[in-house]
Amino acid sequence: MAVHDGTGVKRAGTMLGLWRDVRVQRFLFQVLFAAAVIVVGYILATNLTRELGNLNLEAFPFVNVSGSFPFINLTPSFLEQRAGFGIQETSFGTEYSANNSYGDAYVIGLLNTVRVAVIGIALATVLGFVVGVSRLSANWLVSQVAMLYVEVFRNIPLAIQLIFWLTVVVLRLPRIENAPEFGGFAVVSNRAIAMPWATTGDGLGVWLLLLVVAAVAAVGVYRYRARSEERTGSPRHPAWWALATFSVIAVGSFYIAGAPLGFDRPALENRRVMGGLSFSPEFIALLIGLVVYTGTFIAEIVRGSILAISKGQSEAAAALGLSTVQRLRFVILPQAMRIIIPPLTNQYLNLTKNSSLAIFVAYPDIFKVASISLNQTGQAVPLIILVMLTYLTMSLLTSLVMGIVNRRLQVPT
Amino acid sequence: MTVLSRPAATITLRTARRWAYENLFSSPANSVLTVLTLLVIGVALFGVLRFAFFSAEWEVIVVNRRQFFVGRYPVEEVFRAWIVVFMISGMAGLSLGLWSKPGVRTAAALGILLIPVFLFIRGGEVAALTAGAVGLFVLSHVAARAVVEWRENVDLLRTLTIVSWLIAFLVAMFILGEVPRLLWGGLLLTMILAVAGIVLSFPLGILLALGRASTFPVVRIFCVGYIEIIRGVPLITLLFMAQFILPLMIEPERSISALGFSVPITGYEMDNVVRALAAVTLFSAAYLAEVIRGGLQAVPRGQVEAAKALGLSTTTILALIVLPQALRAVIPSLVGQFISLFKDTSLVAIAGLTDLLGVTRTVTAQQAFIGKQAEVLLFAALLYWIVAFSMSRASQRLERILGVGER
Repeated sequence: MAVHDGTGVKRAGTMLGLWRDVRVQRFLFQVLFAAAVIVVGYILATNLTRELGNLNLEAFPFVNVSGSFPFINLTPSFLEQRAGFGIQETSFGTEYSANNSYGDAYVIGLLNTVRVAVIGIALATVLGFVVGVSRLSANWLVSQVAMLYVEVFRNIPLAIQLIFWLTVVVLRLPRIENAPEFGGFAVVSNRAIAMPWATTGDGLGVWLLLLVVAAVAAVGVYRYRARSEERTGSPRHPAWWALATFSVIAVGSFYIAGAPLGFDRPALENRRVMGGLSFSPEFIALLIGLVVYTGTFIAEIVRGSILAISKGQSEAAAALGLSTVQRLRFVILPQAMRIIIPPLTNQYLNLTKNSSLAIFVAYPDIFKVASISLNQTGQAVPLIILVMLTYLTMSLLTSLVMGIVNRRLQVPT
Repeated sequence: MTVLSRPAATITLRTARRWAYENLFSSPANSVLTVLTLLVIGVALFGVLRFAFFSAEWEVIVVNRRQFFVGRYPVEEVFRAWIVVFMISGMAGLSLGLWSKPGVRTAAALGILLIPVFLFIRGGEVAALTAGAVGLFVLSHVAARAVVEWRENVDLLRTLTIVSWLIAFLVAMFILGEVPRLLWGGLLLTMILAVAGIVLSFPLGILLALGRASTFPVVRIFCVGYIEIIRGVPLITLLFMAQFILPLMIEPERSISALGFSVPITGYEMDNVVRALAAVTLFSAAYLAEVIRGGLQAVPRGQVEAAKALGLSTTTILALIVLPQALRAVIPSLVGQFISLFKDTSLVAIAGLTDLLGVTRTVTAQQAFIGKQAEVLLFAALLYWIVAFSMSRASQRLERILGVGER
């Protein structure tokens, strides 16, 4: 293997053997390499199929050798069998019971992973930015506390932190019988943690449509007032006017549409939480763990990126009379974002992959469901391939989205 | 952004007041922030202290102290672990002395960190051995400092130290390996997995990085595919793969028949430790490869061209010109990768190994200590933290000494 090309210059007229030609050497080397990879792969695959054959299992049920085009089984037969195990937690209103198939269980696990990853990414970003900025705060105490947080949580394995959050914090919250209800705004117990949530009514579609109209009207008013301000030179408060326009239409249409959004508060009834949005202890522990752990890395990224912005930028902004917050918001962060995005993407990917540690807190994510299925069916190969492909797809999608964000944030040319 | 200033060395009342004014109460908003932070710190400190000194029952740690450090390693064989500890503390003192100035603050910090560990030591023998290890560390550090003062050029000594670290690893594996692998446990197993993972995945990572930068399309595609697939999946899936699939692949029944040939092979028995190590190594290699690739890209093209002009062969160029510069440029990221490898070894607990995390699970399951998760987890977390934090500090120091970014 060579780092740099030793491009062969064939010396014309010399009677050297063919094998002395660099191009031939390169070709032969690659053929040998490919052959070695194929032979090793073939041997491993043969061993695998034979050993699995002894166990009456098919190694690659995705490949339909004897069947017809397109030779791919999208749903290997075992995925259609009855799963027979329950899953306590489902996401996005999906329903699941032990009578559903392994395939259904897998989808439930996938949705659970997506839910914890999406919420986790959002919260970790907020936490990371706050801490990252705090580490550079002029307030000595604040920056020291931020540093302490980063150094403590970054250097302890996530698995330990997850078990800690579950067994020491969340499961030691008050029992559900005497859980505090905070006047109906939240229920905190070791069986469920609930917060108020919106309920939807019939006219929701109409109202959302009217909201769009309100937004358009507000933009129109803003433009009109702004232009008028520019022309006359006297203040016309375009932002306030736009806000007022939007609120009037939004509130008016809300009642016209028949108040389609309700406010549902959680309440304790018969040792169960009714209403609101309720989370399981496992979910909460996993979420806190992922957010706190990933937050440290994001904070370091934010801090490093802000430090990478030349000090002159900050000084120039100060000279123009911008306040600390304004400097951060309009001068430093927009530039720092360009440096932040690529490593931030990595952290998002890490958080998603780390959500597989859900198995330590018994949260039924994709990996936990797959491992239960594996124990029951013994279908190790297809299940692990399936899990890996799923994570690869999620990684690819995240990279894609962040790639678009990154391109939009680059210096316009 | 105001750069934060440290408290002045000579604290008189007036300087202290000025410092407090500048760094804590420079504006009304800042003052509010300071008071709020103080409140938070107070509540947190109160909670921690009350837990540590009043509500926590540390008996569970004292009773299971051997478990935490060596797992089920037989008592009469524990001397092997001690030999390794002495070896490491001597070498560590030597290296620290050779590479950096005497760090009073580092020494003090390490001492403070070790206090909670010392608190759990029972029995004169262990105390004496621990003191001996610390003494050896200090002694070799002082000796190394003396040599550095005496000889201007210590390059040869440094090279020798690096080589002897590698030899020490082999010797340590030999000494510890006399005990069956399945009895390894606790911090010992965690450290073995981490160190062996680093030693094994490092060359693999270099090969993958070179392969990715190679001009051979076939090699490049293979390496890119490997790196990207491994980096796209969680370690836990690889551990499962090593647990369930790998044994079927390379533990054949006596012979493998391929392409019409039948090759007799004695089935290689893989135990759980080897499987986990395989997964950790294959996983870490992909990440190391990406770090090293960054270093390869940082080597100026002129270096290679100059080497070629001198008539060096491709292998020599790689070994003597490209790799030393490439690796030097990425040392901080390499250490960062090693730290995450160290933390990642905790996942082997789900493969049924009793590493440090695995021990916490067996200890909290003991009848006598039901509900003592807080104590057990905090102690394990402290052990993990000491190792990871020391590594990250060492990397920062290394970064400063090497002047990465300058050439």
